[in-house]
Amino acid sequence: MTKPFYCQLQQFLDEGLTVAVATIVQVKGSTPREVGAKMVIHPYGKHVGTVGGGCGEAEVIRAGLDVIADGQPRIVRIDLTEPISMQSMGVCGGILDVLIERWGPEETETQNNPGRVES
Amino acid sequence: MRAIAAALATSAERREAVALVSVVQAMGEFSATLGRHLVVWLDERTPLGDLQLGDLQPRLIEEARAALRERRHARLDYRTEAGAITLFVEVQPQPYHLIIAGAGHVAAPLAVMASLCDFTVTVLDDRPQYANRERFPTADRVIAGPFRAELRKLRGDRPTFDPNTCIVLVTRGHQYDVDLLLEVLDDPVAYIGMIGSRRRVRAVYELLERERGIPRHRFDRVHAPIGLDIGAQTPAEIAVAILAEIIAVLRKRAPERR
Repeated sequence: MTKPFYCQLQQFLDEGLTVAVATIVQVKGSTPREVGAKMVIHPYGKHVGTVGGGCGEAEVIRAGLDVIADGQPRIVRIDLTEPISMQSMGVCGGILDVLIERWGPEETETQNNPGRVES
Repeated sequence: MRAIAAALATSAERREAVALVSVVQAMGEFSATLGRHLVVWLDERTPLGDLQLGDLQPRLIEEARAALRERRHARLDYRTEAGAITLFVEVQPQPYHLIIAGAGHVAAPLAVMASLCDFTVTVLDDRPQYANRERFPTADRVIAGPFRAELRKLRGDRPTFDPNTCIVLVTRGHQYDVDLLLEVLDDPVAYIGMIGSRRRVRAVYELLERERGIPRHRFDRVHAPIGLDIGAQTPAEIAVAILAEIIAVLRKRAPERR
């Protein structure tokens, strides 16, 4: 019933937008979301999906905006294991590795990787 | 990128299994592959994209198909003398198909919640005044017709329902539930549940053993009374208990049975 993730992504690309896609590729401990959870980081803030919300997701969104700008795929490690304090009372623990990649409207992906030599 | 997103979107709309292979980390000879993708289907369709991995590609296509069959994401590591690469196989499995036999008070909320949980939902009843779009706006199919004949039709040309199917028997009369149960008893479905009190269910099994010679152990896989014991009372609460049990079974957790 919810719109499939890739239908939403395709719609952004069809509109000519360049976005970042974040995917949880590895977790350790009790994390807010599971491996394979995804979100689109939208250049103007209309993000779709969630990798767990909260401060961790805010970090992913910031990194996503960088990826939209420079095109370099990267892994962001979100560590939610710090002790509960008055500043940060996150509900979950655990460590997430999040892959963040740029997805643009170009048809093929050879241009996805600026600065790299294609063989 | 758009071609890959479009292929994944089309598969999602068709509700077919598909995997996206992404390069997570790449070093040495593989470093140019970072940011590349490959779309792999369960059938023999030619994968879309090129990871530029040469001889490794056929092997990893097989690994991706294995992940699709297991409905689990996978992480693959390859190491050669000249480099190392880590790939992530993201699996979009085919959604489970929930068949709800009976379009009564429990079926209506169950159909809505199952749609929210991404099931493909079919509702079946022999009463058109119950089995209709107005009562089941979110269901993928609503069928009004004789129970057993329509259930057989849903099976199609295949000899049995597949392990992607879940069947909930919540008709208005136990005779229909039992009739449908006998139709699918040996099908390798993921889940079969039947409504009824503990006493009623036991009486039905005893009757079938006595009259039809069906040994008790053949009913072991039937979830009856249906649903987790959460003290559900209203039809919507019972629907929650049923869906919770189905999710527990599909996620391979031992559910607490009533």
